[in-house]
Amino acid sequence: MPQGDYIERSIKENGRRLDYEERKRKKAAREVHKHSQKAQKTLGIKGKIIAKKNYAEKAQMKRTLAMHEESTSRRKADDNVQEGAVPAYLLDRENTARAKILSNTIKQKRKEKAGKWDVPLPKVRPVAEDEMFKVVRTGKRKTKQWKRMVTKATFVGPGFTRKPPKYERFIRPTGLRFTKAHVTHPELKCTFNLEIIGVKKNPNGPMYTSLGVITKGSIIEVNVSELGLVTPAGKVVWGKYAQVTNNPENDGCINAVLLV
Amino acid sequence: MVQYNFKKITVVPNGKDFIDIILSRTQRQTPTVVHKGYAISRLRSFYMRKVKYTQTNFHEKLSTIIDEFPRLGDIHPFYGDLLHVLYNKDHYKLALGQINTARNLIGKIAKDYVKLLKYGDSLYRCKCLKVAALGRMCTVLKRIGPSLAYLEQVRQHMARLPSIDPNTRTILICGYPNVGKSSFINKITRADVDVQPYAFTTKSLFVGHTDYKYLRYQVIDTPGILDRPFEDRNIIEMCSITALAHLRAAILFFLDISGSCGYTIAQQAALFQSIKSLFLNKPLIVVCNKTDLQPLDGLSEDDMKLVNEMKADALKTAIGQGGEGTDADVLLTMSALTEEGVIAVKNAACERLLNQRVEIKMKSKKINDCLNRFHVAVPKPRDQKERPVCIPPAVLEAKAKQAAAEEKRKTEKDLEEENGGAGVYSMNLRKHYILADDEWKEDILPEILDGHNVYDFIDPDILQRVEELEREEGLRQAEDEEDDFEMDGTELTPEQQEALIKIRRKKSVLINQHRIKKSTAESRPIVPRKFDKDRQFTTERMGRELSSRGLDPSLAINRMRSRSASRTGRKRERSPEGRDDGMDIDDDTPSKKQRLSRSRSRSRSVSRPPHEVVPGEGLRDSAQKIKAIKLAKKSVKKRNKNAKRGEADRVIPTLKPKHLYTGKRPKGKTDRR
Repeated sequence: MPQGDYIERSIKENGRRLDYEERKRKKAAREVHKHSQKAQKTLGIKGKIIAKKNYAEKAQMKRTLAMHEESTSRRKADDNVQEGAVPAYLLDRENTARAKILSNTIKQKRKEKAGKWDVPLPKVRPVAEDEMFKVVRTGKRKTKQWKRMVTKATFVGPGFTRKPPKYERFIRPTGLRFTKAHVTHPELKCTFNLEIIGVKKNPNGPMYTSLGVITKGSIIEVNVSELGLVTPAGKVVWGKYAQVTNNPENDGCINAVLLV
Repeated sequence: MVQYNFKKITVVPNGKDFIDIILSRTQRQTPTVVHKGYAISRLRSFYMRKVKYTQTNFHEKLSTIIDEFPRLGDIHPFYGDLLHVLYNKDHYKLALGQINTARNLIGKIAKDYVKLLKYGDSLYRCKCLKVAALGRMCTVLKRIGPSLAYLEQVRQHMARLPSIDPNTRTILICGYPNVGKSSFINKITRADVDVQPYAFTTKSLFVGHTDYKYLRYQVIDTPGILDRPFEDRNIIEMCSITALAHLRAAILFFLDISGSCGYTIAQQAALFQSIKSLFLNKPLIVVCNKTDLQPLDGLSEDDMKLVNEMKADALKTAIGQGGEGTDADVLLTMSALTEEGVIAVKNAACERLLNQRVEIKMKSKKINDCLNRFHVAVPKPRDQKERPVCIPPAVLEAKAKQAAAEEKRKTEKDLEEENGGAGVYSMNLRKHYILADDEWKEDILPEILDGHNVYDFIDPDILQRVEELEREEGLRQAEDEEDDFEMDGTELTPEQQEALIKIRRKKSVLINQHRIKKSTAESRPIVPRKFDKDRQFTTERMGRELSSRGLDPSLAINRMRSRSASRTGRKRERSPEGRDDGMDIDDDTPSKKQRLSRSRSRSRSVSRPPHEVVPGEGLRDSAQKIKAIKLAKKSVKKRNKNAKRGEADRVIPTLKPKHLYTGKRPKGKTDRR
C-alpha cells in the first residue's frame, strides 16, 4: 500500500480493536434512535429541514411499497366495450351521419372568429392599472403626476429608442427589460432559452400589448430557428407563439410554453 | 506556490453539503425578521443583503478551492508529470475550469437579481426574487457536483503522496519487479516498504532518508518497470518513468543475477538498454543483487557479456562527469538478505552523487558569491625554520600512565558483559557509594511513610538544624519562664501558677488554631458548622468538658445520640473511644481513619524556609521556587474552596438542590435561577 496510507497500514499491522465489530454493529443500531431523537428535539428551521427530508423519504418508501404490492394483488378484468355499442333502450334509433367532414383549417378559422384560442392558460388573473403602473411625480414642485413607470417585465425591440424624456409618458426601466425567455416544448418536454421577437397579445388590454408589457398569460413570439422546425411545404419556421406561464417580475425570468 | 506539500488543501465539500453550508450560513448570519409594514427601501435592502451575502460566500469558497489546488504548470515538472500520470491533467483542468465557470455564473446571477430587487415594490415580490436568486445559485452548484466529488478524491490522494523534495540529494532505485529494490531501501533507511514474493508489490513511490557524511539523502524506491514500448505502460510504471525523467538523482539499476525474480538477465539487460536515455547526466551504478543465491563469478558467458555491456555504459556516464574510471565504482554486488555489500553500495552512490553535485555547483555562477565569503587564513611563514609541536616529556608520561590505568581499570559495563550481558546480570550501582558508614550501602530507603513522601523530609543538614532549633527554643522557653512568674510583681500560689499555665497553654492553642485557619482561609472550603468537617464537636468532647466541670454527661450524651443522624441510617464513623484523657483536654488524637480522612493543612513542622532551594529539586533560584510554589497553590485554591478532594473529583453533592426546584418561575427557566 502507498507510503502515506497510515490508517490502513496500522489496521493491517495491529488489527482492529477486539470489540470493533460489536461496537460497529451497536453504533449502527443506535443511529435509528439518535436520528429520531434529533428529529424530535431540533427546533427552528433546522427542524423543518429535517422534517421535510423525513417526509420525502417516507413518501418514497410508500411508493416503493405500493409498487411491490401491485404485482401480488389481483383485479377484476374489465371487458372492453366495443366501438359503436349502444345500450338497449337506444337500439331503435337511427344514427345521423355528417355529410361534410370539416377540415382543420376551417375549424381554426371559426375559432379565430370566435376569439377562442387553444392555449395552456385560458384564464388569468386580471392586473389592475395601479398594480401595473407606478405614478412618477415630476416638475419643479413634484406636483405633476402624468408620468407612469411600468413595474412589470417588458419587452422593447432591438431598434428601440426612447421618446425625449420630457415627453415620454410611460417609462420602461432597463432593469425590467427582457430579451430572452425559457420556452418549453410541450411534447418534447425540454426547455430552450429563446429570443423574444415581440409581444403578440397581453390579456389585460391592447394598451399593454402596445407597450410590450409581459405578464402571466401574455402571448409572445419567439425565435425558434434553433429548434429546426420545418413546414410541410419545406420552409424553415423561425418564429412561433408561446404563452407565458409565470410572473416574470417575481421570478426574474420569463417561462413560457410553446404553442404548437 | 506550493512546493511539494499538498497536505494543506482544504476539504472540498460535495455538492449537497456545500449548498447546505452556505444556505445555513446565510440564514444564521443575516437578519431574519422582516414585516410587511417596513419601508420599502428597508425591505429591499434586507433581501438584497441576503442575495449578496450568499454570493459572496459562494465566491469565497469556490475561490479557495481554485487557489489551493496546484496549477500543474506552476509546480516542479516532476510533480506536474506525476499528477498527470495519476489524475489525468485534462480531467483535472476541466474540473477546476468548471468550478471557475460556476463562480462566474453565480456572480452574474447575483448581479442580475440585485438589479431586479431595486424594482421590488412589495414584500412578496422581493421575497420571490430572493428565493429565485438563491435557487438559481444552488442549481449552478448542483450541476458541478461531480467535479467537486472528483476534486475531493484527488485532494485525498494528493495529500498522501510521499513528500519528495525534487531539488535535494536523491538516490533512485529502479529495475525489474522483484529484484530486491524494496529490501535494499528497507536496509538502509527506516522506510518500511512491503516486501512480498509477487511482482508489483510496490505500487507507488516510496521515500526513505539516509545519512552519509553528515548529509541527508533521499532514497526513492520505484515500482518495477517491465520492458514494454512506452505507450503500453500502465500508471504504476509511468510513476517510475516520471521519477527517472525529472529527478536529478543518482540511479541504482538493480540486477537480479540469480534470476529468482522470474526474469532472465537478458530481459533485464534489454530493459536497461531501452531506458538508457533516461540515465543521461546522472551518476549510474549497476548493482547486482541476490549474490547469496548466485555469485557474480558463476555467471554464464552470455550473461557476463551483457553485464559488462551495462558496466561499459555506466562507465561512460562516469567518465562523462568526473573522470573516474574505476570499475568498482559502477558495478557492485550485494545481497540484501545477508546484508553484505549493502553499505558499500550506499556509500558508492552517495559519494558519486555528492561529487557530481559539488562539481555542478562549482561550475555554476552562484558559487562565486559563496566563494567570496570563504577565506582560509594561513599565517605567512617568516623564515624557513621548522617549528614542530612541543610537549614536555612529563606530560607525555602522565598521559601514557593514565591511558594504561584507564585500560587496567575494569568498568561496571565490562563486568556486566562478562557475566552474561544486559539481561542476565544486573549491575550493582551501589558498590561505589560514599557514605559515612559503609554498611548503609545496601539499605533500601522507603519512599512513602505514613502517607507522606519521605523525600520531602530529607535534609542532609538535618542534625545540625535540629540542634540549632533546640538551642533557640531552649533560650525562648527560659525567657518565657522568667516572664511567667513576674506578672504583677507578686508571686503566685502554686494552684494559681497551674491555672495560669493552663490558661496560657489554651490561649496559645487557640491562637495557633486561629492563625492556621486564617492562613489557609483562601483555599479552604467554607463548610457550615452543622457539617462539622473536622469532627470537633463530638459527644466525646462534650462529655469530657462537662465531666471536667464536675457535671454528669451521660444524660446529655444520650439525648444527642437519640437526635443524631444515625437514626436515619447514615453510616457514621466511631469517634475515638476508650481514651484516658483527664490530661489531654485539647489534644484530640483521632483514630487512623479520621486522621486520613481529614485534610492536613499545616501539620508538619518546617525545618527549612520555603524559599530555600534544595539542590536536586530542579529549580534555579529562590525566586523561581517561590513562583513555582505560588503557581501550585493557585491551581489548587479553587478546588479546595469547592471542597473537592482532587482534580478528578467531579462529585455533585446534591443533584437536586432545593432552591432550584421550588418556587414559582416568574422569569427565567429552571435551569438557571
